[in-house]
Amino acid sequence: MLAVTSLSINAPFWFNVRPQGPNFFALNMGLCLPFALGLSVAFPKRKVIAIDSDGSLMNDSSSLITVADVNPANLVAFVMDNGSYAFMSSTFTTRKTDLAKMAQGAGIANASTVKTLEEFSAAAKQAMESAGPTLIVAKVERDAGRVSADRSRTSGRPMREWFMDAVRRHPDYQGGR
Amino acid sequence: MKRFDCLRLLAPMVDPYMLTVTSLSSNTAFWSDLRREGANFFGCNMGLCIPFALGLTAAFPKRKVIALDSDGSLMVDSSSLITVADVNPPNFVAIVMDNGSYARMGSTFTTRKTDLEKIAQGAGIANTATVRSEEALSAAIEHALATSGPHFIVAKVEPDRVRVKGDPHRTHGRFMRECFVDAVRRHPDYQSGKKERLTGS
Amino acid sequence: MDKQSVQVIIETLKEEGIDLAVTLPEEPTFSLTEAMREDPFFQAVTVAGEGNGLAFCAGAALGGRRVVFVTGIAGLLVGTWALSQMGMVYGAPILILASYRGDFGDHSGIPGSQLLMFKQVAEPLLGALRVPYRIVNQKATLKRMIQEGSFACQDYSHPIVLLLSGEVLW
Repeated sequence: MLAVTSLSINAPFWFNVRPQGPNFFALNMGLCLPFALGLSVAFPKRKVIAIDSDGSLMNDSSSLITVADVNPANLVAFVMDNGSYAFMSSTFTTRKTDLAKMAQGAGIANASTVKTLEEFSAAAKQAMESAGPTLIVAKVERDAGRVSADRSRTSGRPMREWFMDAVRRHPDYQGGR
Repeated sequence: MKRFDCLRLLAPMVDPYMLTVTSLSSNTAFWSDLRREGANFFGCNMGLCIPFALGLTAAFPKRKVIALDSDGSLMVDSSSLITVADVNPPNFVAIVMDNGSYARMGSTFTTRKTDLEKIAQGAGIANTATVRSEEALSAAIEHALATSGPHFIVAKVEPDRVRVKGDPHRTHGRFMRECFVDAVRRHPDYQSGKKERLTGS
Repeated sequence: MDKQSVQVIIETLKEEGIDLAVTLPEEPTFSLTEAMREDPFFQAVTVAGEGNGLAFCAGAALGGRRVVFVTGIAGLLVGTWALSQMGMVYGAPILILASYRGDFGDHSGIPGSQLLMFKQVAEPLLGALRVPYRIVNQKATLKRMIQEGSFACQDYSHPIVLLLSGEVLW
């Protein structure tokens, strides 16, 4: 399974949860979902998960349309929606924007919003066991503090090298033939 | 429906003080032919028509501003719909001519799974409609122009058979921009807020 | 950005008659955009993406509003397409205050690889887009720079970028 995270606390949290394996951390605004989509096309037989944020997805919501059209069965996108831009002001999801509905409008049939851990657990399990693409908007609280993780593993060129190393060693890797 | 017929239907419903913005595509050639008066910004490139029109609503809050966009253009930057919903201007009307194609280059996502009206609703725009007949379009426009918005209308049209050239000198680039700014400056509401500020305080 | 700089900027924007403030929040300029949001003089608009934000500013500006777009280098990168149209093609008079991420003095703590990229890209990007810009990094000249930037913006009828850095930003 390959994973891609956006900026925000998604990156260090995910690193602490699953440091090994092909992970691409801390993609900037709007880039997490389309990057994960690309990865899903490179590894069609493996689940690819995107751990995105509401602000990031809204920066380029058109990526939802591309996901629907490519329609990869192996893509699962989680949108951690805390209704805020980091420690700054609130995003549009605290007002009128419904990301799951936008995803449905884009053409992603399996798009839902979850508010409790039980709902999240059930939706995630379902997504990992069935054909996608699936989008799960998880309403979460704002995080209280900053979390740090090893920068050399979660950002920039060093992160990219760790990722490429894991990808090259993956049994399904198609490159370099 | 045919795009030209839709625009021709719209033309007499627009008063001289309303402002319009068109995307590229034959929206520009057709509309520039049909609307000869008032402030019109033609030929906005991909993704820019709706946000530009939204900005105009902040300059002319008491006048209807109509964005004549295309499906492909809107989809380049669908996040603009979120901004529309949040700014929430009552004088904003978007009519998206959805012919399901990128000019002459193949189909867009709306011929497959994408529902622009639903995306707009998800973004937070309450007043939306998708129309497939001239009667429905006429009713939707009338409603949009008579009531508080923002309004978002998707008009399903056939792809145009022929390329329409229009007058690129008048409808693109700097000359178009000068005609537009000239019309804006002569508009009775131009910078009316500023005038109030100068005289008021 | 400290209170003093925020105050000077807001005061000067008011004197320039700039009453439409548009942003997508970012950390270095957050105290400025929050202060603008709370000040009833400004119509404050938050946008979902910098591309549509810049096009919005252009519509308002060519329509007669005086507008400021507050962003950072990242925002300019996202909005490059819009800026190419609204600047080079249409000459919309938009005053842009952009935090100069990655310039010397940026101890904000974001990864060095990002900072380096911003530093390398920022000025050539503005050059490529033919957008006149100045680096504003001294409190002593902050007010004058905004006045001149605003004047140039209207006079040239073109987007103008003031890159905020140094003691103004940090």
